[in-house]
Amino acid sequence: MGIERMELVNIIGSMDELDEALVRCCDSGCFHIEPAFKSEQNSTVKLLNEKNPYEQPMKAFSAMAAAMEVALEEADGSGYEKYHPDDFEKLAEDIENELSEYSRLKIDCASDVSDMEAAVVQINHLKGLNSDFEKIFSCKHTAVRVGRLPADNLAKLEYYDQIFFFVPFETTRDYCWGMYFCAENDKEIVDSIFKSMYFERIDIPEYVKGNADEAVKKLEEQISEKKKETARYNEEIIKLSKKHGETVKKVFTALRKKYDIFELRRKVGSVKGKFYIKGFIPYKEGERFDKLFEDLDSVLVDHLPPDADAYCTPPTKLKNNWLTRPFSMLVEMYGLPKYGGYNPTSFVALTYTVLFGIMFGDLGQGLLLFLGGFFVAKKFDKRAGGMVSRVGLSSMIFGTLYGSVFGFEELLDPVFENLGIDFLPLKVFKQTNFILITAVGIGIALIVISMLTNIIISFKEKDIEKAVFGCNGIAGLVFYGSVCAGVVGTMMFDVKIMSTPFVLCLIVIPLICIFCRVPFAAAVKYKQWRLSEDEEDMTVGGFIVENFFEMFEFLLSYVSNTMSFLRVGGFVLSHAGMMLVVMTLMEGASAVGKPIVLVIGNLFVMAMEGMIVAIQIIRLEFYEIFSRFYESDGKPFEPISVKFSADLDAE
Amino acid sequence: MLDKQSTNATSAKIRAMYADMFTIDNYRELMSKKSVPDAAEYLSRHPGFRDAFRETDPNTIHRGYLEELIGRENFETYIRVIKFQGLDKQPFYSFLLRKNEVMTILSAINKINSSLEVTALPELPGYLIKHLGSRVLDIAAAETYSELLQILKGTQYYKVLSKVPLREDGKADFTECELRLRNNYYAGLLEQAEKGFDKSSAEELKSLILKEIDCRNIVNAYRMKAYFGYSADEIKRRSLKFSGIGKRTMDRIYESEDGEQMLELINKTAYGKNSPDTDNIEVKINSVKIRRLRSVLTNSTSAAASVYAFVQLCDIEAANIIRIIEGIRYGVEPAVIESQLVTL
Repeated sequence: MGIERMELVNIIGSMDELDEALVRCCDSGCFHIEPAFKSEQNSTVKLLNEKNPYEQPMKAFSAMAAAMEVALEEADGSGYEKYHPDDFEKLAEDIENELSEYSRLKIDCASDVSDMEAAVVQINHLKGLNSDFEKIFSCKHTAVRVGRLPADNLAKLEYYDQIFFFVPFETTRDYCWGMYFCAENDKEIVDSIFKSMYFERIDIPEYVKGNADEAVKKLEEQISEKKKETARYNEEIIKLSKKHGETVKKVFTALRKKYDIFELRRKVGSVKGKFYIKGFIPYKEGERFDKLFEDLDSVLVDHLPPDADAYCTPPTKLKNNWLTRPFSMLVEMYGLPKYGGYNPTSFVALTYTVLFGIMFGDLGQGLLLFLGGFFVAKKFDKRAGGMVSRVGLSSMIFGTLYGSVFGFEELLDPVFENLGIDFLPLKVFKQTNFILITAVGIGIALIVISMLTNIIISFKEKDIEKAVFGCNGIAGLVFYGSVCAGVVGTMMFDVKIMSTPFVLCLIVIPLICIFCRVPFAAAVKYKQWRLSEDEEDMTVGGFIVENFFEMFEFLLSYVSNTMSFLRVGGFVLSHAGMMLVVMTLMEGASAVGKPIVLVIGNLFVMAMEGMIVAIQIIRLEFYEIFSRFYESDGKPFEPISVKFSADLDAE
Repeated sequence: MLDKQSTNATSAKIRAMYADMFTIDNYRELMSKKSVPDAAEYLSRHPGFRDAFRETDPNTIHRGYLEELIGRENFETYIRVIKFQGLDKQPFYSFLLRKNEVMTILSAINKINSSLEVTALPELPGYLIKHLGSRVLDIAAAETYSELLQILKGTQYYKVLSKVPLREDGKADFTECELRLRNNYYAGLLEQAEKGFDKSSAEELKSLILKEIDCRNIVNAYRMKAYFGYSADEIKRRSLKFSGIGKRTMDRIYESEDGEQMLELINKTAYGKNSPDTDNIEVKINSVKIRRLRSVLTNSTSAAASVYAFVQLCDIEAANIIRIIEGIRYGVEPAVIESQLVTL
């Protein structure tokens, strides 16, 4: 288990076989494409930056599908594989000709409806106007304006000479809807007065007749008529969609594939009439990959070591067995290791499963999780389901040790008695101290393992500073181990091991090493005394201040990370406590209510506690464990593929 | 009088409201709009103005009304803040109401002096009527100076304006009226700050008020010197009589030979140091002022100082937004608009 071995692949061939080569790369399912060059200026390879010719026909078919209300879904587009962009455009034009007339009429009707509905909204504000709009607007000597005035300005109206009168109809928080009348000769002055008060005029459409109520009624009738008309055009369009719907789907599927493959050209280089594709494949897929290109005469596939190109970082693909594979989603969530680095999935799988079992130990609930995991894996997400099943199993094991089945803490007692195991089951509330101390003990063990892992990884990477002098290196391990041994020995076993030589050699010297890790590592590496790795001007004062605070942080993290594992014990107690509440509630319920309380209580605890425990363990993994040895600077292995999507913006 | 601790909630409320104010990114986003409706639409989505623009239609709203709505929202915010803990019962907190009264009177005098036979009524922001009462409408509608004095009888403004000598045409000099009204306003404000609060709050408040006066005097003095070549005596006569940086320093600034020398002297004061390198005196001085206001808002425990600083920040924000909208309306380049904003 580790990281999949990769190889760099260069594919070179004549331009006329480029599209086919790209199709084969997609079909392989294992080709991670890289840009053909890093910088165009310094390369003889040129970028294929052509406009995608399939874009326009694809948009046309998408618009057509929308107009015909055809839901675009993947269909068999193999019949159109030989089509060129011009052929697609011709096909689009033919269908469009049939569709366009009905589409236009439908849009016109919808626009009319929209206008009339807007007019209804406006006229609704003028309810109370009992005169005919037509009559009002046809006055020869009186000017009329309909609209809305900011309500704040209503009080100003009284202060103007009465050469107009304003009729309010409806007042909202900000506006007063109404109309003003004035003599035709005064309209310019009055208009300017109202303009200064920010009166917004409303144009009543010519087709509005009668008073406000009648106008609204008539408009609603007209809207209804227009809607019927729209429905008629819609029916015609539906007929067309039945006739051409399947074709549109098939053509769109073919176009989408051609468009996406053409888009991949942006990462392809061209040199002297030949294309140049660069990418990575898993080493084990090499032979199968070569076979895919055997029938393409001009295409040559060249295999190179993964580090052959300095500009390309090999991608990371985790290699895990069936047992640990589901937990790779946690590693991916944190970030992948770099190619050739350490794959922590097995470590995560083991620690996550054990910690979950400890914190959520219940035979019955664990069984439900185990079965639920299978269901989730089958119906929704294979990896999430796999994880649930595995942690469910662990929960069952620890539940057996606690003697807990759906909250019944005494159910397994006779079993252990018959087997003659007197130290089991573990009674959570009677052994609180043991549980909490064990939790911290587990924490110390995990932190020590993390440090050891860091030392091994750092030695592999020849990083002396991290491996020997770092806070998670040998110096840190010796310091942490000695302090833990000292505290445990003195407080729990009354062994006074904190003697002066012990403190000096195993605590003080490692601390000095951590403090001076940079100059010590530089002395080993460069055989010279430096205060910083990159030869910056670091003063002694600056060095002391910087490292003092870093040391403070390191020491704090040793304590806080260790204490953080108390939560493991805390959740054992919390789980048992919550189940105790369920049991107490059940006892207080009637005979009919008891099973209901038991089922609901168990489901509630499983949902809430299960979720919290799952999150808390992720936190422990990421903060307390990963931070000591793991660097997530890898890039994921993403094989190119063409996936159908009806969304034009989807990549 | 409420003690300092009991008004902490007002300071906290103001800080929360401050978080909703425009940032430089908001200004830039607004500047990138191509038309006034687009700008109105953007403002209607901003948390600070969403409610004010609830009933407006961005496509039809008049630019003047849009600006009035920004002013209204700021005014309503001020009213909400001072009513939050009943602070409006203390005389000091009605400072913005009094300031608007002064502005309305000045607007009325300006119209009376303009001889255009128009009143200040169209320019009177409608939202003030609700808070200042119908007298403000009478003031705005005044057609002669004597009519205005008659309306103001019984108010503090009458005492101030009745002493202004009238010209032969029965009108009063606008600058003289403005100076007297503003001096009276700030004198009242400083007196209320002194009497109405404990020592530290009073000092903080007085410092804020005096700095506001300084900024006003400096900007006006520079304009008078650089653009109109006024003498030191004329500038002094037209400046407010209070000063935060000291009378002697202000006198030295007034006595500068030209705008350039004045700018050099200003740069040596607290209002010039660390100010942005710009020819726009308003941006230069107000950038320093805004820094001080923000500091008061984030550090002060005095509700009075917080309210006063917040209102000034709201004014600056409104001025910035209005400047941007004007810029958009007249097609000014965003970079040019940005150079005129007070955002530091």
